[in-house]
Amino acid sequence: MKRIVVGEGSCGIAAGAAKVFSALEPLVSGDQNIRLSITGCIGMCYLEPIVDLYEDDTLVQRLVLVGENDAPAIAQAVKSGDFSGVEHLFIKEEDKEFLSKQTRIALRNCGIVDPTDIHDYERRGGYEGLKKVLTSMTPEEVIEVIKTSGLAGRGGAGFPTWFKWNAARSAQSKSGSKYLICNADEGDPGAFMDRAVIESDPHNLIEGMMIGAYAIGATEAVVYVRAEYPLAIKRLESAIQEARANGMLGKNICGSDFSCDMRIKAGAGAFVCGEETALIASLEGERGMPRLKPPFPAQAGYNSEPSNINNVETFANVPWILANGGEKFAAMGTENSKGTKVFAVTGKVRKGGLVEVPMGVTLRDVIFGIAGGIRDGKQCKAVQLGGPSGGCIPYELFDTIIDYKALTATGAIMGSGGLVVMDESTCMVGIAKFFLDFTTKESCGKCVPCRIGTKRLYEILTRIVEGNGKEGDVELLEELCKAVKDSSLCGLGQTAPNPILTTIRYFRNEYDAHIREKKCPAHECAALLHYHIDEEKCKGCTLCARKCPAKAIDGIAKKPHVIRQDSCIKCGQCYAACRFGAVTVE
Amino acid sequence: MCGCKEKKSDLSLISDILDEYAKVPGSLITILQKAQEVYGYLPVDVIYHIAEATGNSPAKVLGVATFYTQFRLQPVGKYLIMLCQGTACHVNGSERILAAISENLGIKNGETTEDGMFTLSSVACLGCCSLSPVMMINGETYGTLTPDKALTILKELREKAEKEAQA
Amino acid sequence: MNQITITIDGKKCTGPAGATILNIAKLNGIEIPSLCANGLVKNYGACGVCVVESESSPKLLRSCSTEAADGTVYHTDTERVKKARRVAFELIMSDHEGDCLPPCMLKCPANSNCQAYIKQIALGNNKEATKIIKETNPLPASIGRVCPHPCEKDCRRQHVDESLSIAFLKYFAADKDLFSEDRYKPEAASDTGKRIGIIGGGPAGLTAAYFLRLQGHEVTIFDMMPHMGGMLRYGIPEYRLPKEGILQKEIDTIEELGVKMVNNYKIGRDISFDDFRKKFDAVVIAIGAWTSSSIGCKGEDLPGVYGGIDFLRRVIEGSAPAIGKNVAIVGGGNTAMDACRTAVRLGAENVYVIYRRTEAEMPAEKVEIEEAREEGVQFKFLTNPAEIIAGADGKVKQMKLQVMELGEPDESGRRKPVPVEGKFEILELDSVISAIGQHVDPAGMNGVELNKRGIIAADEASFRTNLENVFAVGDATNRGASIAVEAIGEGQKAAKVIDSFLRGKEVPYRMPFVSKRDPKDIDFSQWESYPRAKMPTRAAAVRKGDFLEVNKGFDPDDAVKEAFRCLECGCHDYKNCELIRFAQQEPVLQPERFAGEKHPYFTEQKLVCIERNQGKCISCNLCVRICDEDVGKGVLGLVGRGFTTVIKPEFNNKKVLEFCKSCKKCAENCPTGALKVLD
Repeated sequence: MKRIVVGEGSCGIAAGAAKVFSALEPLVSGDQNIRLSITGCIGMCYLEPIVDLYEDDTLVQRLVLVGENDAPAIAQAVKSGDFSGVEHLFIKEEDKEFLSKQTRIALRNCGIVDPTDIHDYERRGGYEGLKKVLTSMTPEEVIEVIKTSGLAGRGGAGFPTWFKWNAARSAQSKSGSKYLICNADEGDPGAFMDRAVIESDPHNLIEGMMIGAYAIGATEAVVYVRAEYPLAIKRLESAIQEARANGMLGKNICGSDFSCDMRIKAGAGAFVCGEETALIASLEGERGMPRLKPPFPAQAGYNSEPSNINNVETFANVPWILANGGEKFAAMGTENSKGTKVFAVTGKVRKGGLVEVPMGVTLRDVIFGIAGGIRDGKQCKAVQLGGPSGGCIPYELFDTIIDYKALTATGAIMGSGGLVVMDESTCMVGIAKFFLDFTTKESCGKCVPCRIGTKRLYEILTRIVEGNGKEGDVELLEELCKAVKDSSLCGLGQTAPNPILTTIRYFRNEYDAHIREKKCPAHECAALLHYHIDEEKCKGCTLCARKCPAKAIDGIAKKPHVIRQDSCIKCGQCYAACRFGAVTVE
Repeated sequence: MCGCKEKKSDLSLISDILDEYAKVPGSLITILQKAQEVYGYLPVDVIYHIAEATGNSPAKVLGVATFYTQFRLQPVGKYLIMLCQGTACHVNGSERILAAISENLGIKNGETTEDGMFTLSSVACLGCCSLSPVMMINGETYGTLTPDKALTILKELREKAEKEAQA
Repeated sequence: MNQITITIDGKKCTGPAGATILNIAKLNGIEIPSLCANGLVKNYGACGVCVVESESSPKLLRSCSTEAADGTVYHTDTERVKKARRVAFELIMSDHEGDCLPPCMLKCPANSNCQAYIKQIALGNNKEATKIIKETNPLPASIGRVCPHPCEKDCRRQHVDESLSIAFLKYFAADKDLFSEDRYKPEAASDTGKRIGIIGGGPAGLTAAYFLRLQGHEVTIFDMMPHMGGMLRYGIPEYRLPKEGILQKEIDTIEELGVKMVNNYKIGRDISFDDFRKKFDAVVIAIGAWTSSSIGCKGEDLPGVYGGIDFLRRVIEGSAPAIGKNVAIVGGGNTAMDACRTAVRLGAENVYVIYRRTEAEMPAEKVEIEEAREEGVQFKFLTNPAEIIAGADGKVKQMKLQVMELGEPDESGRRKPVPVEGKFEILELDSVISAIGQHVDPAGMNGVELNKRGIIAADEASFRTNLENVFAVGDATNRGASIAVEAIGEGQKAAKVIDSFLRGKEVPYRMPFVSKRDPKDIDFSQWESYPRAKMPTRAAAVRKGDFLEVNKGFDPDDAVKEAFRCLECGCHDYKNCELIRFAQQEPVLQPERFAGEKHPYFTEQKLVCIERNQGKCISCNLCVRICDEDVGKGVLGLVGRGFTTVIKPEFNNKKVLEFCKSCKKCAENCPTGALKVLD
């Protein structure tokens, strides 16, 4: 059987995959020998849309950057077996390395299985782990395997999974209910691993959750998904129905005594709901404001009953661990950090996408080895890890290994896996301000250090990038950062200062340049920029004057032009437009 | 925000939703989400109605509705432009896109054009970071934007809507 | 119930198992600041000021919501806790918009609580008003008459129409009390056995004596003059302040309290300063500034040239010098006004005031200038004495005046007078009175350190001189002569410091931290204009012939009307405000370093009986939680998220308001003045 598989994750669809699929459909629908299907996200976002051509289960050719106009040629090639007509779409050898250098466990099926077909998942060994658990293991034994594996929470904090499971297992329920909750409120800007897993391999998540549910004795499982992920919700919804129909969910799962059903709760847009207690408040239909710990969710969580919350990626590792044994998982990684970690690599890299690597490899391995380094020939400056809770690690420290302890030592955190790479044109004060803008807007507003503290941090950063920074502002930021970290109620506030503290630590010179010289070394902060036209170089082509939205450029054709500084809005369009390098910025 | 001046909404449109969820504990957010799907936003009288049906005080329902960014208390335009403000989009120049759209449409973030065509809303990360900068309009994602490209898309949408209106 | 024992700041504390650290601390007499915790509702942990450190946890703990663990050692005063608490308070205050205290009170050197006593006057309670006034000032009838009232300069009523007549209202209330059957007489605390000697019975010395006596100390005032009162007695003319009729009565009240008063007694003459010091546990120097400054031109020592305050004193003592018909007073301050108007009353026909700048720059009170002019005083602005010329008898005959003009502004902001070259005038005169300043004469105060200007140097917070147990206040110290209420302020503040010192733990004076609003941000349009009450005075033609009091005092109706003009700028809740009480316990807060966007300041009356002030709200959410959890109504709710979150009585909808039981619990439990119960 010849198979054409179109990668339809959200990114792929945004890049045009659904249009490619629609174009292919009428061309192959009559052919009994060809099966057209979809898969999720392979993780090579920079090459989307991607179309894989299979002969049974063997990948024959991978076509990349496919357009809907390529459909006839693809159909023709598949039918004839002569691929020369689509040669221009073949994936390059260099790009194959993007996948071959990875070790995929959580993502093992992503971009391969059809997320809308439970049987495709089962063909690849799906639900074997769950069956094994339900037929031959006690919950304690399951927890022991997880303990052996060393699996730690992939949501960012890195808390040992077995410990949480064990606490929830031991906790007494008043009503007899216990809950297993999956945190799929992937709010870190720049992170999309969880979305990819749910969209691409929803049964893997369901299986992992059911194993967890069995281990803690949960009576119900809930997946809390961001509302911004409509496709993930849709695919998971249908996967849940399929799993229920196939006896993998609901009463007497796989014929065992164990019963547990699952439902989806769509979030409504609040980053703070990634925090366990806020998530629980949100599940209960309240404002998502964090609650005090103790009591911990394991004792009194959702509906005041014992609850266990894990992240999507954590669960995605569980079926593999149960199928392959905890030792095999623990064999990967470092002393402190076992297994693999998925990263969403974005920013100024050449090859952005999803990367899963064993713990212990270096940041350089990921950013340069797999993601191909910086695009447009620019100089790499830093990488941002862990989103608004994380920090910026400078290029000089790229030999840091991926390991909870090692990353924390830099001032950043492992985080959920967002990895945004920055080049020389990114202002580090601007990045800190960007994150504080985010946390200020996302602060729930309950506690003073976070509600007012993040706001004041943001205001101080704003005045610095606008050229109104004062001597002593960096020290003031540091003092306030410490207080906000020390006395905020929940993780959001406790980590919100990290982007500031790390940029001060590694890029103090950029802060000083803004404050003392009123200059932005990255040429990014509009208020501190001055655009000029070099008379010698200007040919008087008038392009810049026509592009200028503020009509701030004077001059007649074939004569040097001049920018009127009082009218200039510093948008940079003249700079981008000039073909003679006559526009300079400082 | 005085309730009395609002026009009356057809409350029967959500009676099925309320029948299903009103008495299920913890369903307030779900009810609000479904009500918003029905009305396009959450009119004040609908909030009252939901409060009454669920046995919550209106203050509590309003508190929940204003906590989450998904909920809107004002109607939105024909096209809801959700401009991603994620890190990757920021690094790749989303602020310039925001400025360009803002200038072109003459509205600020959160506002709707006078003709009711566009509502501009900057949103948290859409998770399409590799295509950054990204915007989503009525469910459709547009990636690798430049200010020019973004404005062209809006122009096309407006032309499409005008053609529809003529037809 | 099980008892547990914990250690807080080294003290063993016991309490029931399950109680929070905060509650066990409270049970054991340790106060940890806390704003958002309240027994009526569940633990919440929002405000962040109650953090403590535990020896068994790396994190700071919120004492309001952390269960105390048996045997644990907690600290409330480590550097880390203090820093976190201070920043939390600064952040709260950076988004707390309100006036703790009215601007009049803050401007008053004695911090007289004008708003409070004016309210009592408005209600007709003059005795209560006097009581409030006397919390800061034992001489209100006198001060109300003579004070140049800095308070009125900051009175916000001027943004509507004109400032309130604050000083005269004080004069009104204090007079009412002074001449009533049951004068307000505070009682001194029981005797402490501590002895205090005060040198000088002027406003500073009398005030210090009054407040120290109230604390139960044995206080004696020694004064070189035959009567107490200092400059109030000897430097202010009778027509402004009746000495026997008013001042002495107020001094008598102080004496009745038990302050001993010794007159005609001069340190350095009747006793050495060293011997004097040995007799007391504390000594207060309040000797004032009694030497007139000389004019500084040729002829300044001629017979017929008098110092301003010497002249006033002699008139009051009944030994007025013969000043003749033509008199020039040099200077533009209040002493110059007192001198010129006194000269008029002595029968001088041509009284000139020589002032080197213009009327606009004159430091004297406008009303004084006006009244002097009414009484026939001639002002010679932009002139300066160049020479005083003697006649054949060797006495003053003429004054040569240099004509001046205004040049560039000097460091005080006033335009500097400069001579117009070669332009002079001649005045025919019988005498000259120099009223250009006064000096301290520290003779007799052996060993007391002076500053560069020859004035006694005293610490501004402790009022201590260089000598052990010797304090100094008033005109005799630091910046020298000033207005009487300044001396009263110092006497009052010093009394507190000295009392704390005598009790073994000296607490230096510190202006307590308060929240202030900028009048620029305040909307005054809601107020209707209503004119300021005018003080009735005796006609100029009549009054210039005698020394009887010029002012007749407010009519009671006018006083009440005037009092009603008060905008009540200070917060109704200042005395009960937990926020400010705790904030004032902190080392000086600097919320301005975190200045930024604030919640808008406005009030709304959407609840049945409560006025809500958004600017003052600190989002502790107690009102919301109490209404929901304790009252069970949920009328109040949170709207929005993060910094922009506000508390709203939902929609102001009638149906919802029916819920509101008017139980007032929200307002009663508000830790600051954001919610006010309407009368």
